[in-house]
Amino acid sequence: MRRLPLLAPCLLAGVLLAGCGSSGSTSTSSTDAAGAPQAPACSGSTTAPKPSGSGTLTVWLMDGSAPTAMTNQLNAEFAQQYPGWKVNYQVQEWDGIGDKLAKALSSSNPPDVVELGNTQAVQYSQSGALADLTSVSNAFHCDQWLSALKTSGAYDNKQYAIPFYAANRTVIYRKDMFAKAGITAAPTSNDEWLADIQKLKQAYASDPSFQSLYLPGQEWYTLLSFIWDQGGDVAADSGGHWSGALDTPAAQAGIKFYQQLYQASGTTAAKDTDEAKPQQSDVFAQNGGHVAMMISLPWEEAGVVKDDPALASQLGAFPIPSRTDGRTAPVFLGGSDLAIAAGSKNTDAAEAYLALMSGSKYQNMLAASGAVPGTSTDTSALDANVVGPAMAKAASAGGKVTPITPNWATVENGDNPLKDMLTAVLSGQKTVAAASSDANSALTKILTSS
Amino acid sequence: MSVDTNAVLPGRNTTPAARDQRRRPAPSRRPRARRQVLPYLLLAPAVLAILALLGYPVVTVVITSFQQLDLGQLVRHETVWVGFANYREILSDPDFWTITVRTLVFTAACVASIVLGGLVTAQLMRHAGKVVRMIMQIALLLAWAMPVISATTVFQWIFDQNYGILNKTLVALGLHGFTGYDWFSTGPSTLTIIVILLAWQGIPFAAFTIYAGLLTIPADLYEAASIDGAKPRQAFGAVTWPALKPIVMITVFLEILWDFKVLTQVWVIRNGGPDGGSTTLSVLQYLDGISGHHYGVAAAVSVLMILIIIAVTAQYIRLLVRAQEVEI
Repeated sequence: MRRLPLLAPCLLAGVLLAGCGSSGSTSTSSTDAAGAPQAPACSGSTTAPKPSGSGTLTVWLMDGSAPTAMTNQLNAEFAQQYPGWKVNYQVQEWDGIGDKLAKALSSSNPPDVVELGNTQAVQYSQSGALADLTSVSNAFHCDQWLSALKTSGAYDNKQYAIPFYAANRTVIYRKDMFAKAGITAAPTSNDEWLADIQKLKQAYASDPSFQSLYLPGQEWYTLLSFIWDQGGDVAADSGGHWSGALDTPAAQAGIKFYQQLYQASGTTAAKDTDEAKPQQSDVFAQNGGHVAMMISLPWEEAGVVKDDPALASQLGAFPIPSRTDGRTAPVFLGGSDLAIAAGSKNTDAAEAYLALMSGSKYQNMLAASGAVPGTSTDTSALDANVVGPAMAKAASAGGKVTPITPNWATVENGDNPLKDMLTAVLSGQKTVAAASSDANSALTKILTSS
Repeated sequence: MSVDTNAVLPGRNTTPAARDQRRRPAPSRRPRARRQVLPYLLLAPAVLAILALLGYPVVTVVITSFQQLDLGQLVRHETVWVGFANYREILSDPDFWTITVRTLVFTAACVASIVLGGLVTAQLMRHAGKVVRMIMQIALLLAWAMPVISATTVFQWIFDQNYGILNKTLVALGLHGFTGYDWFSTGPSTLTIIVILLAWQGIPFAAFTIYAGLLTIPADLYEAASIDGAKPRQAFGAVTWPALKPIVMITVFLEILWDFKVLTQVWVIRNGGPDGGSTTLSVLQYLDGISGHHYGVAAAVSVLMILIIIAVTAQYIRLLVRAQEVEI
C-alpha cells in the first residue's frame, strides 16, 4: 500500500530509545570523524519567528503520510494565523522521489517545506540542500523529539531535519484463530512463538491453504529485528567508515532464525519477493482469511480491513518476540523527517509552518491516524488503534535504524544484498555462512564507494 | 571557383548546346550563389533542431563525465573538475568488465532472437492466407502496442514462483520438479527471461519492417526461379535474401542500439539482481546516477557506453554507407 516501509526507517519511539541506528548513542558519536551523524542540543526560542509580508509557502508531503483532515486544518490555520500567506500544498509519490527531490532542491525555486524518508535525509543534510535548523530547534518542540528521528535529521552536529512521524513492525494476528488453537496469550519469546505456530498448524491441519504466518522470503526489515535481537548488526561504523557485519556469528544467528521461522511456519510465500509483491495485507485477507499472522506496519491492518471488513473485529497485534523471554525484539523504525530547503526564500514562513505542525494538536492527529508522532511524547491517541499499543511497546524496548550514511540509499534502491542473501538461504542455494559472506562483501562495497 | 566546379561536374543535360551554355561565364554570380545557399537554408532548421536536441545533451554528458557531480555539487551549483578520475574509478573496477561482457552477450541474444523471429514471422505472413495473416497482424500489433511496464509486469507474474502460470502448467503436465521453481534465482536465467520479454516486444517491429521489404519483391522473380527449378530454400537465397538484405541490416542495426541501452525491463524485473547477476551497463549507470546521486560517474559510464556501441556498430555503419552508395 505505502511505499514508506521501503524508504523510511528511523522513526518511532524515540521517546524511548537511545538512538537511531548504530551510529547510535551520542556519547560515542562525539569521537566519530567529521561527517558522522551527530545530533546537537536543543536551542533557540520556543516561539517561531512571525513571517513578515506575504507570499505562498510550498509544502511537499509524501503520499500516505499525514491524514488529509490534519493537513486541511493545518493549512487553513496557517493561512488564518498569518494573513497574506497561502499554502501551496502538494502530495508527492514515493516512487522516484529521490531524483525529484534532487532536482527540486537544486533549483532556484525549491519547495519550502519537504518531507524526507528518514533513511534518505542524511544525503540531503550532507549535501547542503537543507537549511540549518540547529539554532531554532526549540520552536519545533525539540525537547519532545523522538531521539531516533532526531539523529536521522542531524549531520555533523547540526540539525537539518526535524522528526515528523514514525512506525515500526508488529505481528498482526487473528484472535479467532489463536482462540481455536488454544492460545490464550500472545507469545513473549521466540520459543513460545514457534510453539504457538505448531498449535495453529495442528488446529488448522484440515485447511490446505492455511498459513500460520505469512512470511515472504525477502522481508529484510524483519530480518533486521532478528539480527539485532541476537546482538548483531548490518554494518559497523568505525570513525565514519562503514563496513558490513552480516558475516558475524550474531548476524548469522539472526538469519538462521529467519530461516527456522520460514520453514516452521509453513508459509507459502515466495522466497524471492518482499512484503509488497503481492501486498501481504491482501494475502492475509484472501478468500475470507487463511493466514493467522503477518509481520507488518500499522496501516497494513487497515489494508486487511479494507479487503475484508468482516475481519476487523478479529485482528490483534503483539510486538515481535525476542529470543529472551519477556523482552521484545528490537525493531526497525521507519518514518519521515521534515526539512526546509536551503534555497527557500520563505524561511521565516516555513519555520512558522513547522512550529505549528509540530505542536501537540497536530501531533495528536498523527497519533490518532496510527503513527508515532515525532515531536510529541504524548502517544495516548495511539491506544485507540488496534496496532498502536503493541507498536509503542516494541518501540519503547528498542528501535533501531539502518546505517546513517548517504550510501545506504543505494542499498535500498538497488539490488539489495540482504534480499539476495535471504532468497539464497531459503532456497538452499547457499549456506548461511556463504550467503552472509557474499552479501557482506556486496554491502561493504556499496557502503565504501565514494 | 564556382565556374570551375560547374564545368567539371557532368550536367544532367549533356547535349552539346547545354554544355556550351555551361561554359559561358555566368552573367551574374548572385542567382547562382543564392541557389547554393538555399538548400542549406532549408536544411538549417532541422539541422539546428537536431544539434540542440541531440548535440547539446551529448556534449553535456561528456563534460559532466570529467566532473565530480554528486548531490552536494548539484545543490550548491559547484563545478569540480576531476579529469579522468571517474573513468579511472570505473575502469579499475573488475565488475565493470564483467558487466560489459554480460551486456554484449545479452544484446547479441536479443538482436538474434528478434531479427530471426521477425524474419520467420514475416515469411509466415507472406505465405499465410488472408484471414490468418490478418489475425497475425492484429496479434503483432497488440503485442507491440502493449505498454512496456504492463508487459514486464505480466512476464513477472508468468514466471512467478508461487502463482505463475508457467510453473502451474508445467506441474499440471506432470513435471513436479517445477513446484515453486524460482526462475529468477540466477543472473543468466533472469537475463534469459528478459531476452524472451524483449523478443516478445521487439519481434512485431522487426516482422512488419521485413514484411514490408518482402512485399517489394516482384512475384515474377519467384515465378522465374521456380521455372528454373529452384527449391524454396534456393529461391530464398537467390531472390528473397538479396532484396531483403538492406532491410534486415538496418533492423539489426536499430535493434543493437535499442537492446544495448534497454533499462526499463531489466530494472523492473529484478533491479539487476540476484547478486548483481542481471546488471547491465544501463542498470549500472542508473545505480550510479539516479540511485547513488553520482552524476559524474554515471556520465562517464554513458560515455563509455557510447564508445562501446560505436565500436560494435562501426562495421555496420560502414556497410550501411557502402550499401547506400551501391544503390545510388
